[in-house]
Amino acid sequence: MARYVIRRLLQAVPTLVGVSVIAFALVYNSPGDPILIRTFDPNITQETRETLRRQLGLDQHWALQYVSWLTGVTLRGGAVVAEFERSDTSCSFVAWLNTTFCDNGGGILRGNLGTSIATNQPVWDRIVERMPATLQLGVAALLVSLLAGVPLGVLSAVRQRSLFDGSVRVLAVVGNALPSFWLGLMLILFFGVVLGWLPTGGMRTVSLTNEFDPVDRARHLVLPAFVLAVSGVALFSRFMRTETLEVIRTDYIRMARAKGVAARRVWFVHALGNALIPLMTALGPAIFGVLSGAVIVETIFSWPGMGRMTFSAAIQRDYPTVLGAVMFFSLLTIMGNLLSDILYGVVDPRVRLS
Amino acid sequence: MARKKFSILAALLAAALVLAACPQPTPVVETVRETVVVTQVVTQTEEVVVTPTPVPPMQGGVWVEGSSADATILNPILASDSASFDVLNWFFPSLLGQDPFSGAIVPTEMAASWDVSEDGLVWTFNLQDGVMWSDGEQVTADDFKFTYDAIGSDLVETPRKANLDNIESIEVLDPLTIQVTYAEVKCDALNNLSLGWLPSHLYAADYSDVMDSPLNEAPAVSAGPFIFNEWIRDDNSTVLRNDGYWKGAPHMDGWIYKIVPDPGARLAQLQTAELDLIGVQPEQLTTVQLNPDLNLHKFKDDGYSYIGLNQADPANPQAGQDEDGNLVAQDPHPILSDLAVRQAIAHALDYDAIISKVYLGQGYQIASNVLPAVEWAHDPSLRPYAFDIEAAAQILDDAGWTDSDEDGVRECNGCATAEEGATLTIRLQTNAGNTTREDLGALVKDQLDGIGFDIQFEAIEFGTLVGELLGQTFDMVIIGWTGLGTDPNDDAFWHSKFDTPGSGFNFVSYQNARIDELLEQAVSVPGCATADRAPFYHEIQKIIHDDIPYVFVTGSVGNTGYSKKFNGTDPGPWSFYHNIETWSLAQ
Repeated sequence: MARYVIRRLLQAVPTLVGVSVIAFALVYNSPGDPILIRTFDPNITQETRETLRRQLGLDQHWALQYVSWLTGVTLRGGAVVAEFERSDTSCSFVAWLNTTFCDNGGGILRGNLGTSIATNQPVWDRIVERMPATLQLGVAALLVSLLAGVPLGVLSAVRQRSLFDGSVRVLAVVGNALPSFWLGLMLILFFGVVLGWLPTGGMRTVSLTNEFDPVDRARHLVLPAFVLAVSGVALFSRFMRTETLEVIRTDYIRMARAKGVAARRVWFVHALGNALIPLMTALGPAIFGVLSGAVIVETIFSWPGMGRMTFSAAIQRDYPTVLGAVMFFSLLTIMGNLLSDILYGVVDPRVRLS
Repeated sequence: MARKKFSILAALLAAALVLAACPQPTPVVETVRETVVVTQVVTQTEEVVVTPTPVPPMQGGVWVEGSSADATILNPILASDSASFDVLNWFFPSLLGQDPFSGAIVPTEMAASWDVSEDGLVWTFNLQDGVMWSDGEQVTADDFKFTYDAIGSDLVETPRKANLDNIESIEVLDPLTIQVTYAEVKCDALNNLSLGWLPSHLYAADYSDVMDSPLNEAPAVSAGPFIFNEWIRDDNSTVLRNDGYWKGAPHMDGWIYKIVPDPGARLAQLQTAELDLIGVQPEQLTTVQLNPDLNLHKFKDDGYSYIGLNQADPANPQAGQDEDGNLVAQDPHPILSDLAVRQAIAHALDYDAIISKVYLGQGYQIASNVLPAVEWAHDPSLRPYAFDIEAAAQILDDAGWTDSDEDGVRECNGCATAEEGATLTIRLQTNAGNTTREDLGALVKDQLDGIGFDIQFEAIEFGTLVGELLGQTFDMVIIGWTGLGTDPNDDAFWHSKFDTPGSGFNFVSYQNARIDELLEQAVSVPGCATADRAPFYHEIQKIIHDDIPYVFVTGSVGNTGYSKKFNGTDPGPWSFYHNIETWSLAQ
């Protein structure tokens, strides 16, 4: 098992490198200049603009910026050590290459995700600050997805081709097709504005003390967790329906029926247990779905998590934050897939992790 | 048995029908009219003066403002976004006040009065005495000097460096007197002195800690109506009443800045009283107006929307001046350098329809570059271009732009600037995602195509658009200016020295030696009296109006929806919170 986990983790390295190259190339070559967006103001001089651009290294080719992002080392043509004397960067000039090498002590390989262009905060600090909010929302949404999706799928299979089955299948399609921003706004209007039962957004009822209140937090979670869970419910219900129907056609179930085991016991003891095993493989994609869905849901519901941070960073062309979030999301997705594979092996002894 | 049941049912049904057919008693209403004549003779009047017992303002309450974006840094010399200033303005004193209704500079903040030397170069400011930081230190001239010296320091990276332009020296004559000496008279330079002051006693004297100070995220002291309490990024910022505020402690307990990115969610939270104030989108106005618990503050904002017309060839952008300040002749734009084409565009647009359909009535037509809000400089005699499609077509015909092949698009047949046979094809761009501008673009294309233009409209990403603008590689652009302020000097848009591809804001490459001269004269009038400056701006407006480097579409209108839970709100176009210390809970 340990060898399997280590091998999978090692396999994740080239995946992450691939993700980083593609993400970096896409982000840095997308239209829009973070400096111009921030300084489109007649009162800001061109010198200031150029200084900012040079300080952030945005005046260099994206491949050089990628190296700097990875290693924290910046290459500049000529002897320009003096430019960086006042900063934290240590520079040295290599005469035979006519190049100045500057090391800012950062670089993702050294565990440093860089500094946000928008807020001047370390990107890692921003992620740590917002991760708890996304985790709360994501876990709640996953729970709702599982608790609603699994029973719906099983019951749908039990009552195959009934009105209930048809309704669940239609709802699954609708749930997948509904844009979450539209559903979110409709729920805000209905439950927040018209009925006044639930708060319309945010993570807490804001006050001058902002004290933590679990009931208040739960009330704020209801709508965003529901919206985020809708596609998960659809995914799990369809998955469970298919798996249950597949299991029910196997020989051992036929045998159980032939032996006169009660139908209820056949469905919920013999069939469900085995149908649940492949569900583990759906957890990885579900985690990815929750993380990507959080970008929109957190924005609509003013939920201060990583999704909203990534969205606003993309709008502001805050490259380091976007890349930090992409890498973090990628890592979470890889870990989620790995976890679901390991769990699969644990739950089903027939599967050997080797 | 079944037959018996049926018989009973039939009998019941018949009875019901009979009852239903019976006439219902009609109520009879008798109206009694009575006329009473009252005759009263007043023989004596007595004036009674009733003095109401003063009711003390109710203490407490919290005001929650909704914002789409969070602050980025709470340092007045490092911040460059409006959200940061929304929060940090509560803490840091500034030299000059602004009248919330006229926008004029007034001595309502740290400067209690000031004197100007005869040559207009030396300004001496006398400061308010007794203004204290919340830690008990006095706010003095040293704080002002420290702040502006920090901006100039090499250790401080700030987009505010331009605030020091033209300032020769800043001297502290005594703790309550500052002297600012300018290199030359520039009448709008006072605005550069309005930044908030840093508490110098909390920073290193060599400014080495300004960039990375924890105070940038949690200001420790305040000299304003509120003191900093907490900042939960992307969620909310809270500030508490400053009991030592020199204008009097606010009655409310505090103020909260809550981040709600989605405009629909902001409106919902205003309706449910989770928010007390939001900027209202035009399509949300009716909802706010119909809500009895809400007020709407409508005001003419200091901005306008326009269509910029590039006067120079976008294939060969050139600087407007050489190194010696002489005008450099530009390669003209093949179509838009023709004044007749610009006049035709100005006449072909249905401004009323644009303002009512695209801006949902939240706008007003303007004639030139100085807004009516700057009353002393605005020329009300100038009339905006009238929508006259026949006149527009006639102007094009007369200028040699005719549709000889009758394909619906005009060609140059003896026109002044383009090659013979060239079609009247022009690119029109705006930034994608701004639905108002996208709608405007579609309407402009529709209306101009209707008289023989071939408008190629595209909405592109904002950063890309800015690159095209500053690079001067565009033909026509829909964009706008906001935050123009109270001084009419907008030389950055028109002076040829700001026609610098890649950086200058005269990106329409407008060149007019007379305009250059007038812009310079208008800001260097000795004494800077508005009456003396006004004639220059009147002439500038007339020339800009006639030359049409911009087609002015609409002046901006702002709308703020806010709750009625506090008494004393008196919002002005330049400040909503100017008297917040006097607000008190309505009940």
